[in-house]
Amino acid sequence: MAGAITARQAPTRRAARADHGAPVRRRRSGLERAKARTGLLLVTPAFIFVAVFVLIPVGFAVYLSFTNYPLIGPDHFVGLQNWALVGQDATFVQSVLFTLEYTAIVTPAIFVVGYGLAVLVRRRRRGSALLRTLFFLPYVVGLVTESFLLLLELQPGSGGVNAVLHALHITNGQTAWLVHSNLALAAVCVLVVWFASGLTMVLLMAGMQGIPGDLLEAAAIDGASWLDQELRIRIPLLRKVIAMTLIISVVGSFLAFNQFYILTQGGPGTSTDTVVMWIYQVAFVQLHLGKATAMSLVLVVLVGFISFVQFFALRDRKA
Amino acid sequence: MAAAPTITRRQEDHPEARTARVLYAVVGTVLGVLFVAPLVWAVLRSFESEAAITSAPAIADFTHLTITNYQQLMGGSIHIWHYVGNSLIVAAGTAVLTAVLATAAGYGFGRFRFRGRGLIFAVTLLALMIPYQAILTPAFLELNFLHLTNSLLGLVLFYSTFNLPFGVFVMRNTFSQIPAELEESARVDGAGTLTTLWRVMRPLVAPGIATTVLYAFLFAWTEFLAALTFLTQQGQYTFPVALLNVETGTFGTVNYGYLVAGAVIAMVPCVVLYLALQRYYVQGLMSGAVKG
Repeated sequence: MAGAITARQAPTRRAARADHGAPVRRRRSGLERAKARTGLLLVTPAFIFVAVFVLIPVGFAVYLSFTNYPLIGPDHFVGLQNWALVGQDATFVQSVLFTLEYTAIVTPAIFVVGYGLAVLVRRRRRGSALLRTLFFLPYVVGLVTESFLLLLELQPGSGGVNAVLHALHITNGQTAWLVHSNLALAAVCVLVVWFASGLTMVLLMAGMQGIPGDLLEAAAIDGASWLDQELRIRIPLLRKVIAMTLIISVVGSFLAFNQFYILTQGGPGTSTDTVVMWIYQVAFVQLHLGKATAMSLVLVVLVGFISFVQFFALRDRKA
Repeated sequence: MAAAPTITRRQEDHPEARTARVLYAVVGTVLGVLFVAPLVWAVLRSFESEAAITSAPAIADFTHLTITNYQQLMGGSIHIWHYVGNSLIVAAGTAVLTAVLATAAGYGFGRFRFRGRGLIFAVTLLALMIPYQAILTPAFLELNFLHLTNSLLGLVLFYSTFNLPFGVFVMRNTFSQIPAELEESARVDGAGTLTTLWRVMRPLVAPGIATTVLYAFLFAWTEFLAALTFLTQQGQYTFPVALLNVETGTFGTVNYGYLVAGAVIAMVPCVVLYLALQRYYVQGLMSGAVKG
C-alpha cells in the first residue's frame, strides 16, 4: 500500500491523503478518472495518425473534387464540372466495367480453390503442415514480385508458360499473352488465384476447426454423406467466415493495380486499365487532379459500401 | 478397453479410408508441387545467363548456371543495394512505428474505460474501410505540403497509418485476453502504467506484437502503388519501384536477367520471415480476422 502511494503522482497522492477521513469511494473515483485519462492518452497517437492521413485526405478530396486544382497557382471552385467529366469519361466507365469483370472472375475462383485447399489440409495428417505452408507461400511473397516473374515467363519466344503449354500439347507455344486483352486477363486471373487462394484457405481452415467435432460425428452416424456434411453443416456454420473471405477478395480485386500495371500497363490501348490505374493515370500523368479526385471518391463510396455490407453481415451473425 | 484399438485399426483398413488416404497423398503432392514450382523455377532462372533467359527455354540451360545477374545487379550502374536499403529502412521504420502506436492504442482500448472509447475505436478502424489506393491524390498533395513526398519518412508515416487498423485490432484482442487480476495485483504492488505495461504485460502480449511487426514489415516491403506515387526522385526509390525501372529499362537496357534476380532478392525476406515466424502469421490472421 505504501508503495502504491509513492509511485503515484501528486494529484492522486492528495487523494490518498484525504483517504484517512474521506470514504474509500472518493479515492477510487479519482483513480478511475486517472485511468480514463491514461486510456485516452494511450489511444491518442494512433488516432492522430488516422486523422492526419485518412480523415484529412478524405475531407480534402471532397474539396478538391469541386475545384480545378492545378499543381502550381491558385485553384478555383468549378462546381460540379469534375463530376460531369467523370460521367463523360468513357475510359473511366470502361475501367469500372473491366474491374467488375475481373472481380467477377477471380472472386469465385479464389473461393473455390481456397475451399478445396482448406478441405485438403484442415485435418492434421502427415504432410498437412507442409502443404499449408506451400499453399500460403505465394500470398507471402506478394503480387508485385510475382507479377515481375510472370512478365518474364509470358514472353512469347522465351517464357516458361508457353514452353510448358507446348510441352503438354495444349498450345503451339507461340501465344502472345500480353498483346490480347482477354489472354492478358486470363493470365492475370491465374496469377491472382495462385496468389490469393492460400489466404482464403487459412481463414476457412480456422473457421472449420471451430466447428464442434461431435456435430459432424452425429451427422455421420445419421448417415450423412461427406457432401451432405460439407453443404448442410459446414457451409452454413461457416457463413460468417465465407462472407469475410469473399469481401476480402472483392475489395482486393476492386482495388487491383500492381499486377495490371506491371504486366499490361493497361494495354492493349486502355482495355486492361483498372479503376485505380485509370485514376493514377488521370491524376499523375494527365495532372487533372480535380477529376481524378472525384473518381477516387466514387471508388471510396463503392468500397465503403462493400465494407459496410461486410460489417452488417458479420453483426447479423453474432446476434 | 481392448476394443478401442481394434476399431481404429479396422477403420484405417477400411477400403474407403485407404482410398481417401491415397487421394490425399496424390492430390496433395500434385498441388503442393504446382504451388511452389513457379517460385523454385524463378530461383533457378535467376542463375541463368541473360541470353538463356531471353531464348527458348531448354533443360540444357540449367547446366550453365551463373551468378552474373546478381553480380551485375549489385555492382555496375544499378547499385541495387541502395534500393534494398531504402526498402529495409521503410519496412523496419513502419514495423517499429506501427508496433508502438498499435500497442499503446490496443492497451488503451482493451484495458481502459473512458468516454468516447467506442467512437475513437470506430474512427481508427475507419482506415480499414477507406483504402489508401482511393485517396492517393489528396494524400499526395498533403504530403507534398508537409514536405514528405520523396521522403522515406513520409512513406513510413503513411504505411504505418494503414497498418494501424489491423495492428490495433490484434493488440486490443491481445490485451483484453489478459486477466484483469494480473494488472490489478501489479498496481497494488506499486507499479505505474508504464511499468505494468513493460514488466507484466510485455511477455503476455509479445505474440501480438510479433504479428503486428510481421504484417507491417511485409506490407511496407512489398508495397508498390504509394511508393510509385510519392517517390519521384530515383535516389529515394524503394526496391519494388526500382525493379519497375529495371523492367522498363530506365537503368539502361531492359534486362530480364536483372529483373528475375531482383525479384528473387525481393522474395528472400518474405520467405525467411514467414518460415521463421509462421506461428505468428497464422495466429495474427485468426485473431485479426476470425474473431472479428
